[in-house]
Amino acid sequence: MAQLLSVRTFSFLLPVVILMIGSGEVSAAGGHQLPLYPESPFEGTAFSWISNSMLMVWLAAIIIILFCRVATKKMALVPTGFQNFAEWLVESLYDFFGNILGEHLVKRTFWFFGATFMLILLVNYLGLIPGVGTMGTTDAHGHFKGLLRGGNADLNMTAAMSITFFLLWLYWSFTEIGVKNFFAHIFAPQGTFTGFMKVCMIVMFFLVGILEIVSIFIRPVALSFRLFGNIYGGEQTLEGLMALVPQYFAFLPALPFYFMELLVGLVQALVFTLLCAVFLKLMCSHSEEH
Amino acid sequence: MISILAVAGTEAAQEGFFETFGVNWPFFIAQLVNFIIVLVVLKKFAFTPIQEILEQRRKRIAEGEDKLKRIEQQLTDSEQRTQEAIDKANADAARLINEAKESAASLTEKKAQEAIASAQVILAKAEEAAKAERKTMTAELKKEFGRLVTATTATVTGKVLNDDDQKRINEEALSSVEG
Repeated sequence: MAQLLSVRTFSFLLPVVILMIGSGEVSAAGGHQLPLYPESPFEGTAFSWISNSMLMVWLAAIIIILFCRVATKKMALVPTGFQNFAEWLVESLYDFFGNILGEHLVKRTFWFFGATFMLILLVNYLGLIPGVGTMGTTDAHGHFKGLLRGGNADLNMTAAMSITFFLLWLYWSFTEIGVKNFFAHIFAPQGTFTGFMKVCMIVMFFLVGILEIVSIFIRPVALSFRLFGNIYGGEQTLEGLMALVPQYFAFLPALPFYFMELLVGLVQALVFTLLCAVFLKLMCSHSEEH
Repeated sequence: MISILAVAGTEAAQEGFFETFGVNWPFFIAQLVNFIIVLVVLKKFAFTPIQEILEQRRKRIAEGEDKLKRIEQQLTDSEQRTQEAIDKANADAARLINEAKESAASLTEKKAQEAIASAQVILAKAEEAAKAERKTMTAELKKEFGRLVTATTATVTGKVLNDDDQKRINEEALSSVEG
């Protein structure tokens, strides 16, 4: 009964808390609200282009690179230790993306999907380390500036990844199916029509093609905002929840959401790379159909 | 989430989209360069060597399986050849035994025939010897019998018998005995 009550109370309070956090009421009540934008801890110096989220991305990159260097330093045919784990990780990701992209495409593009997945995942998890977003300085105007910020809670980072993918997607699509087939895939009528119907279909598929072009250009925007929104929302939720209770118990309300954020971090890394893989497959499967 | 986006949307409308989200060229380009460097480094130092070793291992496993198949095939062939050799050896052995048996039977028969022949020769010689002995004995017997008849006749008649008489008496006595 007590368990049922606590579950019911939790499920009732959750949307209320999220709404309060979203509307900024919690931060107004005492906590500080995470800004939508990254800031530079080195503002006013020659390194003002380094943002607090960039530091987190660097940290993640260093960890991944060090891990890979250690794992691949003494490669043996019978793997042990780090090599074993690295091989398991790479092989699992390779098979996962291979199931979506097919044997040929995954061989060509795995380096992008594997690296992007690992980077997003680690950046997301590093953003959950206590101190990230809460450790910083407050200026004379009472404005708090975080020293570190979740890497994917920065639209610059998510946009950089999306635009890189968009350019690679264009390159891979052109080289896989050719420029002619690329545009045929977007504009050419599907099926066989004659006479008046053929004219109607050409006009209709041309209009559909224009919509497709718009949707193609929206993809990087959607990818960027999806990842940014989820990670920023998660961090904002954690900060808001911590502001609900006295300082020394701040960890308590945020604790359950940490587990949720661990899941969100993984899911968002998967969603981003999975959508990229699906977009690529959708365009490149054209050549297989013909 | 919706609330956050709504607030962000309102702020964006008021301050300008890029300013609201802190999107600016220096941050964006720095993040882009970061991301590309991470991709290149991971491709070079992580994915390429790991994929190479995985490929190498896949090849070794495939080679091992091929070798195993070849060894199994060789084993089957070898077993077949061994069985054939055993069968051939068995057949040869059976043939040799039969030949030996036939040869032994033939030899036995030959030796038996030889023994029979030899025995017949011995028998014939024995018969001849017996005949000759009987003949000698008969001659001696006749001679003794003649002598006895002559002596008896001379004693009974009191007459001295000449050679012709002795011969005639002997012949008559012998003819009456043999008759």
